[in-house]
Amino acid sequence: MTRSWSRTSRVIAGTATALAVLTACGGGGDDTANKSNEPVTITFWGWAKGSKDVVDAFNASHTDIQVKFEEIPSGTAGGYAKISNAVKAGNAPDLVSIEYSSLPEFVSSGALQDIGGEFTEADRAKLLPQTVELTTLGGKTWAVPFDAAPQAFFYRKDLFAKYKVEVPTTWDAFRKAAEQVKKADAKARIATFFPDDPTTFEAMAWQAGAQWFKAENDTWKIDTTDAATTKVTAYWQGLLDAGLVHKNASFSPEWTGSLKNGTTIGYLGASWGAGVLKGTLPEQNGKWAVAPMPSWDGKPASGMLGGTSFAVTKDSKRKAAAVTFAEWMSTTEDGVKARIASGTSSAFPAAAALRPVAKKAFDASYYGGQDIYALFEASGASISPNWAWGPTTGTTNTTIKDHFGKIAQGGPGIADAVKAGHDATVAELTKRGLKVEG
Amino acid sequence: MKARTRAATILLTPFFLLFTAVMVVPIGYAVWLSLFTEKQSGLGFGGTETVFTGLDNYTAALGDRAFREGFGVLLGYCLFYIPLLLAGALGLALLLDSALARARRFFQLALFLPHAVPGIIAALIWVYLYTPQLSPVVQAMEAGGIGFDFFSPEGALPSIINIALWEWLGYNMVIFYAALQAIDRSVLEAATVDGAGAWRIAFSVKIPLVKASLAMVGLFTVIGSLQLFTEPLILNKGTGSAVTSTWTPNMYAYTAAFDRNDYGLAAAASVLLALTAALLSFAVTRLTGRRKAGTAGTARRERTA
Repeated sequence: MTRSWSRTSRVIAGTATALAVLTACGGGGDDTANKSNEPVTITFWGWAKGSKDVVDAFNASHTDIQVKFEEIPSGTAGGYAKISNAVKAGNAPDLVSIEYSSLPEFVSSGALQDIGGEFTEADRAKLLPQTVELTTLGGKTWAVPFDAAPQAFFYRKDLFAKYKVEVPTTWDAFRKAAEQVKKADAKARIATFFPDDPTTFEAMAWQAGAQWFKAENDTWKIDTTDAATTKVTAYWQGLLDAGLVHKNASFSPEWTGSLKNGTTIGYLGASWGAGVLKGTLPEQNGKWAVAPMPSWDGKPASGMLGGTSFAVTKDSKRKAAAVTFAEWMSTTEDGVKARIASGTSSAFPAAAALRPVAKKAFDASYYGGQDIYALFEASGASISPNWAWGPTTGTTNTTIKDHFGKIAQGGPGIADAVKAGHDATVAELTKRGLKVEG
Repeated sequence: MKARTRAATILLTPFFLLFTAVMVVPIGYAVWLSLFTEKQSGLGFGGTETVFTGLDNYTAALGDRAFREGFGVLLGYCLFYIPLLLAGALGLALLLDSALARARRFFQLALFLPHAVPGIIAALIWVYLYTPQLSPVVQAMEAGGIGFDFFSPEGALPSIINIALWEWLGYNMVIFYAALQAIDRSVLEAATVDGAGAWRIAFSVKIPLVKASLAMVGLFTVIGSLQLFTEPLILNKGTGSAVTSTWTPNMYAYTAAFDRNDYGLAAAASVLLALTAALLSFAVTRLTGRRKAGTAGTARRERTA
C-alpha cells in the first residue's frame, strides 16, 4: 500500500527472476567455465558523459569481452538507490560507476567485491595517488579510479573585463571581486551557493585542509569543528548574508537560466564542469575561461569535487572481464580518447600518462583555446591528500542538504547544517555498531 | 449451490493469488525486515552481518525527531488540504449542477483535465511556476507587491497543498457532480414549489443528500494524504527548497532505505505508517457510518411527521 511496500514487492519479484535466471544459466556465466570462443558479456551501469561512446569503442575493438551499457540516473539523483536495490535483489550488473564519496558506503554495505587480485599494485601505480587512496579501504582495493576531479573556477572572461574585475586568486580577493560584480550590475553575481549539493561545500572544506572522517585503528573520528571547516563555513555564510552569491540548486533551470542571461558570471566547480558548461551553453562559445580555485593563502590548493570510479558488484561472476573493461576505460589511450572525443566530457584522467591524450581529444575552442588541462594538472597535484570519506556519506550529505534548504536570513545557517550533518553521522555510525568519536 | 461455490472460487482465485503475491507477502516481508538491523564491525569495511534486533527499529524510528516531524507535517497538510479540497470540489459541483451553469460539458472537462496530468509532471510544472527567476506567476506577484518564497520553510506546506489541490479538485468534483445528478429531480422541484431559493436548496437539500459521497471522498483523501510522497520529493530533489528528504513519513522510509541503506528502519517506518493509516480509516468509517445511520433516522422521522 505504501510506496516502500510496492518497492519491496519489486525487490522480491526481482529476486525471484534473478533466481530463475541463475538456475537457467546453470553456471554458464562463470569466467572459468568460459574457455570457448564465446565472448563474455558483462553489463555496465553508469551515467558519466561519453559512457556510451566508450562502450561502443570497446565492443568494436574486442572479441573476447562484450559490454552491455545501461544508462542510469546520476548517483544522488537515484542511481545509487537503483544500484543498492539491484544488489539486494541479486540482479545487479557486473560493473557500476560510483563516485569516490559514495564508495565507502557501498563497501560497508557489502555490495562490492575486492578486485585487488585483478587490479594490481602495478596498475594502481600509474594513477594519481589520491584517487588510489580513496579507493583503498580497509587495506583492500575496491574500485578502478577513472578521473580525478580537481576544483576549478569557471568565469565569463568578457563580463569580468567589462566590469573591470580581476580574476581572484585568494578567497579574500574573491569576496572583493564578488562585491565589484554586484556593484557593476545589481542583478549579477560572481557565483552560486548550491543548497542542494553538500559536496561542493565539502570540497571547499577539503581544500582548506579539513578532515571530517578520520579512521584511526578501529575507530571513526568525526571532526567538523576544526579550524578549516569553521573558516569556510563563516566565509560562505558571510557571502550569503551580504547577498554576494546566488542561492540556487545546482544544474537547475534557474541556475542555467541565470548563466544564460549573464546574471551568474562564474561557477565554482571541478574539471568535469568544463564539458558541462560547453554542453549547456553552446551559444556562449569563446566567452568562458578557467582559473585555478582561489585559495586561502594564495598557494595552489584543491579539494576534489566528484570523480568517478568503477566497481564490481558482489555477485558478479565475471569479475576478471569487468576489471579488464574498467581498466580499459581508465588506463588506455583508446578508452580515454573515446570518452573525451564524444565532445561533452572534460574528464581529467587519474592516469597521468593519459592526460596529454585527453588534452588532445578535448576541443578547447570553447575556452578560447586555453590550455585547461595544464591548469587541471597543476590543480590536481595540489589536491589535499588528507581527506577521506566515511561509510555514511548518504546520511551525512542528505542531512546537510536538508538543512541547507532551511537556510534563511536571520534563521538557521551553514554552521547549523554542518552540525546537524555531524550529529546524524555519529548517530548512524553508532547504530551500525561501529566505534565513533566526535 | 455447489456450482455457485465453484464459480465463486474460480472467479475469486485470481484476485486472492494477486492479493497474496503483491500485498500479503510484501507486507509480511516488510514486517520481517523491520526486525533486523545490519551491523558492522571495525571500520565497517568488512561487510555486514544481519542481526535480529526485535523492536529496535521501531523505537529508533519513533525516537527520531525527523520521523515525528513528518507526522506533524501531515497533520498540518490534512488540516488545510482536506477542508479546502472538499469545499472546493463540492462548490464547483454545485455550480455545475445549478441551473445557472452554461457550457457544462466544457467546464466538466476543463476542471477534470489537471487530474489527467501525472503527479510527477504536475509537480515539475509547479516547480517551474514557483521558481523566482523563471516563473511568470512569481514575477507578476512581485510586480503587484506580493513577495512570497514558495521554497522557504513557511512556503513549503502551502506550495505542496496547492499542487495537490489542482491535481485532485476536478476528480472529486466529478464524484460530487455524479452524486448530485443522481438526486431525484422531483425532490428539487418540490423544494422549489415550497419557495426555496437556489442557496436554500443547495444547503438544505442537495448537500445532505450527497453526504455519503462526502464521507467517501473524505476517507480516500485522508488515506491518500498519509501517503504524500511524489510532489514533496520533486520539491526536495531539484530545488534546494525547505522540503527535507524526511518531510513526510513516506519520504522518511524512502530516504532510510535508499540514501542511508537502512532497510530495517525503512521497513519499520513503513509499518508504523500503515498502522496509522489503518487506525485512521477505521476511525473515519466508524464515525461516518454512525452519522449515516443517524441521518437516515432523521429522514425517516421527518417523513412520518
